[in-house]
Amino acid sequence: MNRSSGTREKLLLNPPLAAEVLTSFIRDAVETTGLSGVVVGVSGGVDSSLSAALAARALGPERVHGFLLPYRTSNPASEQDARAVAEHLGIPHRKIDISPMVDAYFEMEPDADPGRRGNKMARERMTILFDQAKKLDALVLGTSNKTEILLGYSTVFGDNASSLNPLGDLYKTQVWQLSRHLGLPDAVIDKAPSADLWPGQTDEGDLGVDYGTADEVLHLLFDEGLRPEEIVERGYDERAVTRIVTLEQRFRYKRRLMLIARLSGSAVNLDQEIPRD
Amino acid sequence: MAEGKTNAARIRIGLAQIDCRLGDVAGNVERHLRWISEARDRGVELLVFPELSLTGYRLLHLTSRVALPASAPELRRLAEAAGSMAVVAGFVEESDRGMLHNSAALLGGGGHDRPHLVHRKLYLPTYGLFQEERFFRPGRRLDLATLAWGKTGILVCEDLWHPELARRLAFAGSRLLIVPSAGPGRVGAGPLPANHERWETLTRATAMLNSCWILYCNRVGWEEGSFYAGSSHVVRPGGEVVDRAPVLDEHLLVADVDLREADRARWNMPLLADERQDIEGPE
Repeated sequence: MNRSSGTREKLLLNPPLAAEVLTSFIRDAVETTGLSGVVVGVSGGVDSSLSAALAARALGPERVHGFLLPYRTSNPASEQDARAVAEHLGIPHRKIDISPMVDAYFEMEPDADPGRRGNKMARERMTILFDQAKKLDALVLGTSNKTEILLGYSTVFGDNASSLNPLGDLYKTQVWQLSRHLGLPDAVIDKAPSADLWPGQTDEGDLGVDYGTADEVLHLLFDEGLRPEEIVERGYDERAVTRIVTLEQRFRYKRRLMLIARLSGSAVNLDQEIPRD
Repeated sequence: MAEGKTNAARIRIGLAQIDCRLGDVAGNVERHLRWISEARDRGVELLVFPELSLTGYRLLHLTSRVALPASAPELRRLAEAAGSMAVVAGFVEESDRGMLHNSAALLGGGGHDRPHLVHRKLYLPTYGLFQEERFFRPGRRLDLATLAWGKTGILVCEDLWHPELARRLAFAGSRLLIVPSAGPGRVGAGPLPANHERWETLTRATAMLNSCWILYCNRVGWEEGSFYAGSSHVVRPGGEVVDRAPVLDEHLLVADVDLREADRARWNMPLLADERQDIEGPE
């Protein structure tokens, strides 16, 4: 593909500065709320590994509580990777099998398709993380990156729910860049990204576009302000651009949760934007 | 000389690169008092706090809740604590007409009753993540304060991006320009936050073109997921950065400033004296 030069370079970060800023973010959020640490679901994927690594730097590993939350069909290699990352970071970690809770529900809904089952798993994990956060006097650390947020590739109130998210303004390729800088295991960084909600699932298969292309197109749309046709003129595949633009538009509702019908002059989040320190 | 006070040409300045608690004026006053005390221990004569240092920046609908008149006891407390030291602090000002302004007050310096100068931010950024015009009214005046070392002007953050303001202050005799700021950071591939490189280009160019000292004090800390990029710095009239504070941490940057350097720069390269007002066109 004959893409315009320089777009990939514009996605490069200064990794030490980015790591310093993001650890400061986590430390500030935990100190401001007066809580004692964070909980994070570690899947063995690169996003949750990076979030956990930044938190371990920010707070010290003992204040980062990792949770392995497999379902019975989850790839066993994911659990091994998750354990390896937790041990690499020296964070306390615990496994809670979500199969009994998820299966109990779907016994009443036997015809549910894989999408519904995947969403339920993602939300089951998040209810566990929020409960453990309450128990451990901690915040729930998010692991969603900017690419999946913009493309709506997440489960509402599942993996996209959290109290703070250090990765939400990092494109996927930047997650990889920062993960390498922080010395996460190659096996975790190099494997094909997958939500692991059903066997053989991959992100890029679901999205229909590779992350490198998605990040460059999203950068041109949102950071540079180009129109889709201008991006195609720069040599990007028209089908890929259309796919990305369509996903971004279709799933905007996932990024602006709690849409409140306004009746008064003091509607929360619309008339009353009370900031969070 | 007209004021007869310009013999005090050397002053020790301090940039108080602090974090602020959003919406917590009482807590921020205490924080200012601690930094004033530390600055006094280090012999500082002019101490600069960042933009909206008494309230935090991203107030949105909290803005009216934290507004103060320029005669407020909170500001008098700072002036009393400052004593002979001059202090610049940022606050939400409620004017006599009930308007809200993003203001910076020059306090202390031996005067306790009223600030020497209250600068109301003239350009209110309302783009990107900035929403100032929704909550503030812009100022309408540019003023100078005359202190022991001479004339001093204040421009708040975005004001500096409109270069005629610094020009007018320099023309009116200011050799020292104070720039409190709340500049959010962005991380790119470079060694400093990406937007800070632009800021430093601006402060250096402003110092060079107007032959004046620039005291740029930016804040640090986080508000709603956005960080302020610190990097407060002092620029001498030739455009050289004398010293720079760190990016993320609170820091008191202390420097000795010789105001005669501005005079010498203006003699060597008389940009201000040469400025013409009679050039016509284009129409």
